[in-house]
Amino acid sequence: MKTLESRGHDGVVDALLVEVADLLARLIETHEEGAIDLLGLPLSPECVAELDRRLGVGEVEIKIDASGLSQIRETGFSGVWWTQHVDEAGRVIARLIEVAMAPRMVLADVEDIKRGRQKLLAARKNAGGSAP
Amino acid sequence: MGNAQDLRGETLAEMLASRGIGRRSLLKFAIAMATSLALPPAIAPLMAANLAKAKRRSVIWLSFQECTGCVETLLRATSPTIDQLIFDFISLDYQEVLMAAAGASAEKSLRDAIAANTGEYLLAIDGSIPTRDSGVYSLTGGRSNLAMLEDIARDAKAILAIGTCAAFGGIPKAFPNPTGAVGVEDLVSDKLIVNIPGCPPVPEVLSGVLAYFISFGRLPDLDARKRPLAYFGATIHDQCYRRAFYDQGKFAKTFDDEGARQGWCLFELGCKGPTTHNACASLRWNNGTSFPIQSGHGCIGCSQPDFWDAGSFYTSLAGGVATGWRNAGIAAAVGLAGGAAAALTARSKTPRPPKDKP
Repeated sequence: MKTLESRGHDGVVDALLVEVADLLARLIETHEEGAIDLLGLPLSPECVAELDRRLGVGEVEIKIDASGLSQIRETGFSGVWWTQHVDEAGRVIARLIEVAMAPRMVLADVEDIKRGRQKLLAARKNAGGSAP
Repeated sequence: MGNAQDLRGETLAEMLASRGIGRRSLLKFAIAMATSLALPPAIAPLMAANLAKAKRRSVIWLSFQECTGCVETLLRATSPTIDQLIFDFISLDYQEVLMAAAGASAEKSLRDAIAANTGEYLLAIDGSIPTRDSGVYSLTGGRSNLAMLEDIARDAKAILAIGTCAAFGGIPKAFPNPTGAVGVEDLVSDKLIVNIPGCPPVPEVLSGVLAYFISFGRLPDLDARKRPLAYFGATIHDQCYRRAFYDQGKFAKTFDDEGARQGWCLFELGCKGPTTHNACASLRWNNGTSFPIQSGHGCIGCSQPDFWDAGSFYTSLAGGVATGWRNAGIAAAVGLAGGAAAALTARSKTPRPPKDKP
């Protein structure tokens, strides 16, 4: 038999899952991305764990080392991502459910790519190779 | 500081790139700031893009009647988080404690910064402003804090009142307030003012306000006391991890009883969390390590106006009219007088040692 507290968790989790479904509908129809800020909501650790359990685990898991570790995991529902950002001090600074083809942070930035190309060419030149 | 003038044209993205920090870090910072500022997460990419393009903004920092604790808290970060990079990114054109220049060259730096950024610079102030006797109780280079505020606030875009002293008068304003100390908002009424109280203030709040200002060119939403709503909207009590014990009626009665050891609520030991608005319980201190209640001491309400005169730190808020320091001072004086009288009485009754006989 469920306790009053666990029934409360179920209610919050259900409401969040409905919101995720709405964000997915928007992604399908307009390609508009969405996100739910889990740190900004008054969720108990048990509620977060229950939400995580009901979203499940998908096929993709990504770790990004940028000013601290970021972990991005596809949930059991395609297009729904569980994202957690930690700073250099090990503090969780953001926890999101992202609804997108891929979370924005995974994609390389054009300016970073330009800088990377220049760096690559310079390294090649220094090593004695000719420009492509 | 130092060569900030030479780097004025550099964007934040360029500065980060020169330190080997890519756009992902900036996006991550924007995501964290959106969370911290209670903004929709979807705004983070826009915030990151705006931050990337942002140019350095001049900040003039004046320290008035203060203890330098506010500056210390912003300097004592233990890891090079991107928050600190925001502080590096502002052009801190005048700060008496930190700047190498002194005397006439410091005053020239101040005048040059005002002239080059008229109407655009941010004025940061820590410390209260003494007003009694024309403000003679705190002077810099022979000028009163009062005169400096009036002069330099005039051409500022906005004013950041950092710490409880600048926001509300703080400890210098405490009874009997011999210098007539007041906060910035008591003297300036025609400028945007953001109060970031706390003794000292939480550094992440300042970085959040700066990031918002740099990103969107305006200040975040404020509450009725001009505090950033995102950080001061809730009380410490509402965010406290011991709140559940309050709801269950479980209170520590002394600092070393079983309740204290079990981590129960510190309300009966004088915790001012229920009436104090601040972000300590969510952001915590020392890179999120802890905050006073987590260390076993109640909140003293240091970010609230007149906190020093609001009663003993150890009197429960439920204890009726709390004993104010004013009353405590009278009690102490009475106690001292009584003690002196008792000592005299005791002395008169104490048999004197017999004089040495010749």
